[in-house]
Amino acid sequence: MSVPTTGRTTDELAVWLSDRIALYLRRRPEEIAPAVPLAEYGLDSVAALSLCGDIEEDFGLILEPTVAWDYPTIDALAAHLAESLAGEAAAR
Amino acid sequence: MTSFRTFTELVLERTAELGSEDAFLFLPDDAGGAVPEHLTYAGLDQDARRIASWLQANGAGGGQVLLLYPSGTGFIKAFTGCLYAGSVAVPAPLPTEQGQHFSRVTGILKDAEVRAVLTDAANEPEITAWLAAEGLTEVRCLATDGTAYGDPAAYTVPDLGPEHLAFLQYTSGSTSEPKGVMVSHRNLLANEAAIQHAAGTSARSRFGGWLPFYHDMGLIGHILHPLYVGASAVLLSPVSFLRRPQRWLKVFSDHGANIGGGPNFAYDLCVRRITDEQLAELDLSGWECAGNGAEPVRAETLKAFAARFAPAGFRPEAFFPCYGMAETTLLVSGTPKDRRPAQRTVDPAALEQGVFADPHDGGPARTLVSSGVVRDFTVKIVDPDTRQERPEGAVGEIWAKGDSVAAGYWNRPLTTTEIFDAKIADGRGGEDAGGWLRTGDLGVLENGELYVTGRLKELIIFSGRNLYPQDIERAVQGTDKALGIGAGAVFTVETDREHLVVVQEVRLSAVGTDLRSLATGIQRYLGQELQIPAGNVVLVRPGTIRKTTSGKIQRTLMRELFLKGALTPLFEVLEPPVRQTVADATATSLAAAV
Repeated sequence: MSVPTTGRTTDELAVWLSDRIALYLRRRPEEIAPAVPLAEYGLDSVAALSLCGDIEEDFGLILEPTVAWDYPTIDALAAHLAESLAGEAAAR
Repeated sequence: MTSFRTFTELVLERTAELGSEDAFLFLPDDAGGAVPEHLTYAGLDQDARRIASWLQANGAGGGQVLLLYPSGTGFIKAFTGCLYAGSVAVPAPLPTEQGQHFSRVTGILKDAEVRAVLTDAANEPEITAWLAAEGLTEVRCLATDGTAYGDPAAYTVPDLGPEHLAFLQYTSGSTSEPKGVMVSHRNLLANEAAIQHAAGTSARSRFGGWLPFYHDMGLIGHILHPLYVGASAVLLSPVSFLRRPQRWLKVFSDHGANIGGGPNFAYDLCVRRITDEQLAELDLSGWECAGNGAEPVRAETLKAFAARFAPAGFRPEAFFPCYGMAETTLLVSGTPKDRRPAQRTVDPAALEQGVFADPHDGGPARTLVSSGVVRDFTVKIVDPDTRQERPEGAVGEIWAKGDSVAAGYWNRPLTTTEIFDAKIADGRGGEDAGGWLRTGDLGVLENGELYVTGRLKELIIFSGRNLYPQDIERAVQGTDKALGIGAGAVFTVETDREHLVVVQEVRLSAVGTDLRSLATGIQRYLGQELQIPAGNVVLVRPGTIRKTTSGKIQRTLMRELFLKGALTPLFEVLEPPVRQTVADATATSLAAAV
């Protein structure tokens, strides 16, 4: 799976994350504030696993199923995702 | 099929006659999922004999055996081993895999009086430590994935009759009071026959499923039914499905499966998560029977799924809405083959009054999906208070009778009599001979179709999982010392789906943080540990939660107060549709008061 990872800024990743998470939680992306814990919007294990699956699908990156709990906001997730992708790119 | 007296006899014959044919294919979780693990009938027989011989040699033949396995073929071998040994299998979720705590399984371990625990080598040390911590050192624990145990040659076929128990199904009852449904060989054979009649299965069926093995629909529908008809099943883990729902659909597309199902949310998840690219790769034209049960069947979901997957060849006639529960082994009713599920659009106000009526022109309407027709049971709709039968088209509790209705709850004679031996009153002081199962579900029979309209019991269902409000309330109160013990109420509110609402009292003097963090802590715990979406939390002052004189939480009343906007929250977080429902209800009650 060769996914171009360079050029994805943390901001772009945050937009991608908002879109996906809004879909799982049946909200509009603009309703989800980037610094508010996703738990406040009713995040559950189905949504958390969905996020892992979509990250795997779109970025070829396999993350722990707990990632959405360990990095509980869009901001924290975007930073973690950017770091993981940079790490992957450097390892190639 | 009728020649078998027990499911053990049936499985022994299947494994002997189908030897080298595949019984199960398990697709592993890794990204490709490409190399399925094959388990032939002969392979199943070999391992089941080894396990059975160990159980018989260790005093567990005929006794209860707890099965704690990750997803995979290990569970299937162990369950079959229990059947071979004449043991009573007790399937339960593996605590270490679910991120759950052993405490949730401890109740089952003790209630079922198990003599042995079967698991795999990876989990054996932790389970042995758990048994020791519970003081149950006489309970043996065996990792069945090795081969250095049991002598297949020493296995002896047990002397079993139809009334012997095949397994205990622990999907009923709260964590503190688990209730194991006693499923006998007669019950199991009767329900497998009922499923075959309803779904039209045969040896050429190929099942595709992802449900947990300890879930009745996963176990009886997707593991034992293939064995019953001598067919095969392609299975994947629940986590694998939730991460990438297309893996389930690919079972129908790429692995030749033609029957399989799940709760309504599984179809909903497929609609929302399958991308256009993934859709283009799917061929669902061979999917003949798509079961939908274990939670309310929603017309919107069926419509959206049929529209989304029509380009992949999915036929709406394949939908198989069904109704059942562990207490009836599994299936009570199902949609006849090759016709679309019946739907009934009714006036919601009349439904609340307990009858089906056509909606007024332009007025509010609710569309219900039929759970199909009843064939191998007798079902009556009964007024839960007067215990008199209700007429066609009227709402009442669904009562059922038939060979699939289990013998009762393990070690709970009083509850068993109340739930499994109810009597219908004639309204003149007399009553019938009894023997009716009270399902706790509300429904209507109309033109031979069974519609499930609601629940009498306080059960909450999310993603096909049965949850009890008292367990959720206790979990909520465990998240912070400022939350009053026994001073909370959880219930659900319905919009286009069910939403959990938590109302919880807070002692302000004990709050060490801000109220919003307190609420988020609750939401996080429920979402991560109990795996329930908790979008709505209302924190209230002490004294707000209404209780009966005997101290029972009045959840129905709290729900009414919440919906009327009659609670004064210290802090609340609500999902937009729930906020809208409360606003609408408040406006209506204000208008009515003017």
